[in-house]
Amino acid sequence: MTDERGVPRREFLKSAVAIGGAAAFSACLGREEVDVPTGPDDLSSYPQRQHAWNEVLPRDDHGNVIAPSHRLLLYLNYRRDGQPNEDDRDQVETALRGIEHAYERSGIGLLLTVSYSPAYFDRFDESLSEGVDLPDPEALAPFEDPEFDTPDAVVHLASNTAQVVLGAEEALKGNKSTLNGVDQPDVALTDVFSLTDRRTGFIGDGLPAKNAGDAESVPADKVPDDAPLFMGFKSGFKKNQASEDRVTIQSGPFADGTTQHISKLQLNLNQWYNQDDRWQREAKMFCPYHAENDVIEGAGDNLGNSSKIDDCKPTDETAREMGVVGHSQKSARARDDEDSPLILRRDFDSTDGGTASLHFLALQRRITDFVDTREAMNGTDVTEQSAVGQRNNNGILQYIRSERRGNFLVPPRSLRALPPAQPARDAQEVTHESS
Amino acid sequence: MNRRTFLKQGTALSGGLVLSGCLGRLGFETQSAWRDPPLVEDRPDAVYYPAIIEGMGMYGTTTAGDLGFALMHSFPHRFWNLTGSRKTKVIVQSDDSVHLMASVWDTETETILPVDVSVEISNSDGRVSSTNLWPMISPNMGFHYGDNIALPGEGKYDVTLQVGPLQTARTSPFDGRFTEGQAATMQFTFDTAETYNLEIRRLGEKAGIRGTVDLMEMEMIPEPVVPTKSELPGRLLHEGKSGDATILVALVDGDHRFSDSDGPFLIVSPRTPYNRVMLPRMALSATLNRGGDAIAQGTLQASLDPDLGSFYGMGLDELETDDTVRITVETPPQLARHDGYETAFLDMEPIEFTVE
Ligand code: HEM
Repeated sequence: MTDERGVPRREFLKSAVAIGGAAAFSACLGREEVDVPTGPDDLSSYPQRQHAWNEVLPRDDHGNVIAPSHRLLLYLNYRRDGQPNEDDRDQVETALRGIEHAYERSGIGLLLTVSYSPAYFDRFDESLSEGVDLPDPEALAPFEDPEFDTPDAVVHLASNTAQVVLGAEEALKGNKSTLNGVDQPDVALTDVFSLTDRRTGFIGDGLPAKNAGDAESVPADKVPDDAPLFMGFKSGFKKNQASEDRVTIQSGPFADGTTQHISKLQLNLNQWYNQDDRWQREAKMFCPYHAENDVIEGAGDNLGNSSKIDDCKPTDETAREMGVVGHSQKSARARDDEDSPLILRRDFDSTDGGTASLHFLALQRRITDFVDTREAMNGTDVTEQSAVGQRNNNGILQYIRSERRGNFLVPPRSLRALPPAQPARDAQEVTHESS
Repeated sequence: MNRRTFLKQGTALSGGLVLSGCLGRLGFETQSAWRDPPLVEDRPDAVYYPAIIEGMGMYGTTTAGDLGFALMHSFPHRFWNLTGSRKTKVIVQSDDSVHLMASVWDTETETILPVDVSVEISNSDGRVSSTNLWPMISPNMGFHYGDNIALPGEGKYDVTLQVGPLQTARTSPFDGRFTEGQAATMQFTFDTAETYNLEIRRLGEKAGIRGTVDLMEMEMIPEPVVPTKSELPGRLLHEGKSGDATILVALVDGDHRFSDSDGPFLIVSPRTPYNRVMLPRMALSATLNRGGDAIAQGTLQASLDPDLGSFYGMGLDELETDDTVRITVETPPQLARHDGYETAFLDMEPIEFTVE
């Protein structure tokens, strides 16, 4: 089946989210044969943790959470100067509830978070509630020079169904009176916010190969057909992810919230696929042990529920003996006392702007946890003592360029609509009992 | 070719020459020589004369802070990428337009810096390419940074060259230097008539024989070489060979700039044979034996000095006549190699000598 633009059906679905808009949405409706259940009338049972996605997402045979495949990030600026007012808060909450009533909270339905930047909290006279670690974004490696994202808010929409992401976006923009058969409120999110940027993406078995044609410099036929990410390997194993508990803020008015770092990393897939061989890719992504012992089959589904990083030798040893350290090997040095990683990765690939890139979205209790993890990944200590370069043979640093960085607070659900910097202690109980 | 590149090249058509179009017209014969250059059979495990030497052109130099930057071009090259002692042959891809090269140095002391360079290239349509260059070594250029780059067509480009801080140790004259990143911007015009007509020297009978050509003379850029034997400070202890690299070992005693602690300091200065090209990015360690017992063992710290360039060193308590010194190469120089260097400095035996 081919539409009038000559885009075959399957091809169309994958790029629909990137294209966006009402036309893409209605075209999706006709092509994606899924019935997405509507959400409940009463949303009061929805968790305080906006980021509590894992319980409603499907898992693979090994118990790994399967990341939702279609993604959209809406970067938003609050239209009003100064502090938000109650009317605007109500409008935002109403608009969000509109799409939650339309689609159930699940993998095939809709998952979303709303988050706010340090720039947003600068609107208030009081400083952000203590106990929330949310600094302005900064460069996180001595060799990078990223631009900083300072919108007021970012809405993250995710679903395994492309039309859900698109439909939700259209409704938030006030372009739909009904969505999935459910009446939508008269107010739009975009009445309160202006849209400053729209970032899209995908993750999941086969999607990168299918999307390869939308980006320059993705070497033809090199991204494996079944790989979930452009770089060819499975990521996000259960044992190599922080739990949602681990990344949740524990106390204070923002308890049940989390912090979110979003960077845009440009990928050099030409170097990765045309200039390195499989051994190098395995050694650089995981560690030399994995490459030497053929630990990884294909994208690495055979690894089960962990990246088997315990089998790698210490980084300083492989650096001196093998001249290379792996990305996972280095990053796994940032763990807590219970040996848990500090960050929960919810990253996804993108062809935004016609270049292959990755939106690295990570959740952690404090932004410092992200900074520490990135420092472990930089491996500066390793380069000083070995032949490993700043980037060369230093995990995957050769192939990624940090283009943009932003930090955000994902407040608890009760505070998701234009939160104050110092919410009243009992804010969670009083606002929006149900609707 | 994917749809986008096709469209892009389609647009380029109206503006100027389209790259794939000019392949047939400009210097086609020379191109077939570099697209898939002949590889000498029976190459020695040593530095050798390759079948061809690629010419190099200068796009320009500039400074940012106290760093000098040079940008050079040639036609796309085959090279060999190295991880540990495993190498991958990198062949020229059909859409590669140019081999872009960069060098970075300290303008005060004219010392070449082994700091990884990234490039971002844009034209009036916006960004067209960005890449982190590989540290490399080639017969006529010596140590430099480079990669094959695909450009959408001929014309003017802006380029930003960016480096991070120096990640190796440095001696006291460089205290507090190179601790921050630096970026320089330049412009270049990609002209296939210029790049693809650069000279290709065929080495004929010489190809495959041990040896190499002279480094190109480049007035504007310091040579990436380390000092001669007689220029080394202190007392020369040994001149060794490993994997065809020359490894000089010297000892400085008394007052010296090489470490904070008192006591003699062991300097190890590896270089290519023939041209004395610096060999950064190695991991070396040393063991000292006296009367059959190991009296000291440790890593030789990679370091940078204004006179020595890239070298490896270690402070000692003492070193006496009849002690033996063993220097082990844990990692050979992690530099991508052009033809002529890809079989050398890989399998590197330890060197051992007795102090006289
Ligand atoms: C193109 C970008 C990236 C790709 C393709 C990538 C891919 C991977 C893969 C395949 C693994 C091993 C499998 C797993 O444990 O899930 C991994 C582990 C990991 N990565 Fe990345 N990654 C990227 C960027 C980053 C960045 C920017 C960070 C943040 C600092 C990061 C942090 C981590 C952490 C924390 C682990 C797990 C370490 C542990 O086991 O404790 N990654 N990554």
